Amino acid sequence: MSQPSQFARDRQATAPAGAAAAPTDQAAPAIAGEGRVLPEGVATAVSLAVVWLLVIAASAIDKSSFLSRETVLSVTFTMAVLGVLTVGQSLVTISGGVLDLSVPTALILPAWVIATMLSGGISGWLAVVVGLAVGTAWGFFNAAIIVFGKLNPIIVTLGTNFAGVAILGIYVQNAVVPNHAGLSTWGKEYWLGLPNVFWVMVIIVAVVGYLLPRTRIGRRAIAVGGNPQAAKMRGISLRKTRFGIFTAAGFLAGLAAVLFTASQSSFVSADGTDYLFLTIAATLVAGIGLSGGYGNLWVTFLSVGLLSTIPTTLAFFGVPALWQNVPAGVILVIAVAIDGFRRMRSAR
Amino acid sequence: MRAVVSARRTTATPGQSRRNAIAELVNSPIGSIAITLVVVVIIGLAAVGGTFLTSSNLTIVSTNIAVPLLLATCSAFALLAGVVDLSIGSNAGLTASIFADLVLHHWNPWSAALVVLAIGIVIGIVNAAVIVGLGAPPIAATLGTLSALAGLQYVVNGTNGSLTVLVTGLYKFANTTVGAIPLVVLLLIALVIVAVYVVTSTRLGRHIRAAGGDERAANRAGISVRRIRIGCLILSGIGGALAGILYIGQLGGSTNILGSDVVFLVYAGVMIGGYSIIRGGVGNPAGGAMGLLVIAGVTDIIAVKSINTYYTDVIVGALLLLAVYFDRIRGGDAYE
Repeated sequence: MSQPSQFARDRQATAPAGAAAAPTDQAAPAIAGEGRVLPEGVATAVSLAVVWLLVIAASAIDKSSFLSRETVLSVTFTMAVLGVLTVGQSLVTISGGVLDLSVPTALILPAWVIATMLSGGISGWLAVVVGLAVGTAWGFFNAAIIVFGKLNPIIVTLGTNFAGVAILGIYVQNAVVPNHAGLSTWGKEYWLGLPNVFWVMVIIVAVVGYLLPRTRIGRRAIAVGGNPQAAKMRGISLRKTRFGIFTAAGFLAGLAAVLFTASQSSFVSADGTDYLFLTIAATLVAGIGLSGGYGNLWVTFLSVGLLSTIPTTLAFFGVPALWQNVPAGVILVIAVAIDGFRRMRSAR
Repeated sequence: MRAVVSARRTTATPGQSRRNAIAELVNSPIGSIAITLVVVVIIGLAAVGGTFLTSSNLTIVSTNIAVPLLLATCSAFALLAGVVDLSIGSNAGLTASIFADLVLHHWNPWSAALVVLAIGIVIGIVNAAVIVGLGAPPIAATLGTLSALAGLQYVVNGTNGSLTVLVTGLYKFANTTVGAIPLVVLLLIALVIVAVYVVTSTRLGRHIRAAGGDERAANRAGISVRRIRIGCLILSGIGGALAGILYIGQLGGSTNILGSDVVFLVYAGVMIGGYSIIRGGVGNPAGGAMGLLVIAGVTDIIAVKSINTYYTDVIVGALLLLAVYFDRIRGGDAYE
């Protein structure tokens, strides 16, 4: 039973572009290599979870106050914005867009719009909707240059971010989020003991991670990332997929901006810069490769958690804040080295 | 695409061939960057007036370009060989801080410089080990070292976040000018010329381009792609350390954020000048140097006209996109 269907699948996969679009999506997992990805994702997830737990356990044993509510809140607040941004970054990477370097602009631009609207007394709901729209528009703008210019996303987003950060630097000196605004109140409230903004991130990671390998558009994105030529041959529109992915990444950045403004009292234009490195690190540490086509979005929850815990851990160990950037860099190098080594060995 | 053009040229009559040669030069990466540079100078003369080419202004422009030019010339070999080193900026920042710290601890500047150069080599070896040895993607791996080195830089600079040190000989060397141009920049121009010669006219240069252009073909032709990439990454590390020492000569101290912006500037410059961080085998050190000159010219015009300096980055971003767009039109890799 399984034999003939496997052959049928292969025939469809190698069929010329004229082949009907219907079988395309049934064949997608075979090409995207779902069977190959899952165990790998699990291995990365387990090792990340172990490392994260070790970090937490070591800190807690050394200083029992580490498990206090303050620490948990500080880590979960950090995880919220980083997590949502990382989902966007991961979508770009999995779909073969390499990296979105415009994260700082994509975060601060909508955040600034939201903060300005709130200060102007405009209702929180409207500000949130406009913020999401601005984020989406930014993603759409990047996508338009990438698709119509046929240019590599990493260079395009480097260029647009250069310009975007500069323009924000001119207009955003110090954006203040009014304390009495409904959004700010909501952002400082909790559900089941954890911040509201954290739960939004959990839902996003869970839902997008669930839908990506299980929906038509998601499987198409993975197929385009794995092998664009093969995907094109099977009738998947590269342009539409890329437009979709970068616009989605923009929308997610807009959502991250909502969480960011909800949990900050004020911010400056440069506050987005750190998130660029962290989203890239979280994506790659989660085992989502730069070459595209593989990776499990759910694992980003663990990498985001680990990267968000480290600064707090360092503080508890009495390590000066100056050291903060070192471990994240080292973890990134180790993660990509392990991933590269595994891939090199399996290719042999 | 380019092969077609040159094939047609060989069968053309002499008159046509000259016209085609000119067309090809205008169309080539070097040609377009040279034209862009001329346009920037003309805009500079129009906007700023005669002072744009006065010696004091030239001194300012060329002093500012020294560190980026040094970094670009050394690290562009890695681009050519098909790898990317994003850690050059924090390498320069960290080595500058270490150099300052050692001299403040009464080290002889020469021995301090040797130690710093050794650190640059070690950084190159670490990058090479992870990228070439373990097969990690260069952008991801060097982004990691970038962050780690920048973190160490904070540690070296200590709680003040900066170190101030005057190395008299180095300061004099960095600030000597020959005519309007700093001696350092003249030496760097010589370095660029050597680099152009190596890339275009030697076996080594051909091998480097082959390694970046088509890794498998190069391997089949008996070129050790691994060894070439290791060498280029180490050269990039050395370039970072030299830039660190030059920073101290120029600025008389280090800060936490020294070198954090220069990496974007350098790669924007060399990409405007015809290199690619996506594919190896393309680019020319002269083009990279002109790309940086274009940015330096724009920066200068904006500074002299006292326009908000943020606009420099807006223009650099736009120039970068235009440059890669025209490179694509010209037959560079299309992203589709």
